[in-house]
Amino acid sequence: MTRTPDLIDALVETAAPVRRLRPPIIRAGLWLAFAAIVLGLIAIAHGLRPDFSDRVRQPLFVLGMLGALATGMLAAVASFRLSLPDSSRLWAVLPLPALALWVATIGYGCLTDWVSMDPDGLHMGEAIRCFATLLMTSVPLSIAMLVMLRYAALLRPLEVSVMSGLAVAAVTAFALSLFHELDATVMILIWNLGSAVLIAALGSLFGQSMLTWMASRFATLPR
Amino acid sequence: MSVGRHSPASLSIVSASTLDDSHKAGDGADWSKLMARSQDGDREAYRTLLEGVTPYIRSLAARCFKQPSDVEDAVQDVLLTIHMVRHAYDPSRPFGPWLAAIANRRIIDRLRRDTRRKAREVALSADHETFAEPATNVHRGTADEVALAQAIERLPPDQRQTIRMLKLDEMSLKEAAAASGRSIPALKVATHRAIKSLRRMLKQQSDST
Repeated sequence: MTRTPDLIDALVETAAPVRRLRPPIIRAGLWLAFAAIVLGLIAIAHGLRPDFSDRVRQPLFVLGMLGALATGMLAAVASFRLSLPDSSRLWAVLPLPALALWVATIGYGCLTDWVSMDPDGLHMGEAIRCFATLLMTSVPLSIAMLVMLRYAALLRPLEVSVMSGLAVAAVTAFALSLFHELDATVMILIWNLGSAVLIAALGSLFGQSMLTWMASRFATLPR
Repeated sequence: MSVGRHSPASLSIVSASTLDDSHKAGDGADWSKLMARSQDGDREAYRTLLEGVTPYIRSLAARCFKQPSDVEDAVQDVLLTIHMVRHAYDPSRPFGPWLAAIANRRIIDRLRRDTRRKAREVALSADHETFAEPATNVHRGTADEVALAQAIERLPPDQRQTIRMLKLDEMSLKEAAAASGRSIPALKVATHRAIKSLRRMLKQQSDST
């Protein structure tokens, strides 16, 4: 076993200057800017959904979109806050009001639109494109989050991975309703909530080990 | 505190304010400033800081671990974590709560790991068998056993075979007769003679030593 004084010697020996982390709100802003770039690129490549101008006039749709977007933004802020050891755990509550609004609009939409569901449902081609958008949004955003929060592996892996999973899921859901016609209520539920739950669950299942892995890949940790 | 019975959520190892007060009351050095200088690459400041916080971390760890080696492992774990996340410290915020949060988190993690390990593992006593094969659990090598084995080796071949079959392999007279092709009275005689010569050989050996 290494003696503690020897360990201190070794640590002092390897203590290179480090660059301090920027304040969490700025780091969350950087991540959200990255998310905006990803969404912008998809918008250029794919274009908005054809009926976007119509849908924007429906309060329920706008409310749902805003709910998802706000959930994503607040969850991102909460993740970066929670990743600091001395910040309060209560930051985890921050995105909950927005999350409640978002889930409520999905539920309300289901209830009212149930009868008006398109008998053909969603075409297969559209579903596959939806899935592509899902991957193109959630994968880079998750990786960015993992890299930015890798030091949290030693501190609060569970809280941070759940929160960042929620942030990615909400932004992905926002992207899906921006780019795809998902009017069939069941599809809305599956795509919006299902993908959100899936991403958040993956985040909490694998986030912890992924954070640890990421931390070991960057053992020297950022300068 | 018993290590096995705690609930991590209820653990309050140290309040941040206690730590903050105690370090100010201690050597007077401002850890926050030392950490800021360490982040800029000042190794002396870093050494002063690490040496200064070690006794506090040790006192926290000592409340949760009984074995001195466990305490020291926990201290080293906390020191390494401080090293790994030192860029995450904001010098405008107090150092005490930051350190206390990291120490609490790492100590609780270790306690959880210990509790999980203890739940899975059972301590073996010397009485437990260690291997499935019966032969591997026989503890040979006491002086008497070695002497007896050597004495048996020195017996004439027919007596040695009889002793092996009847005494060591615990065969019945009938089985031994079938295995060796000799009659039961012959085996009885051979056993009698073998034991007599063994007794003699072992007596001579103990007299000579």
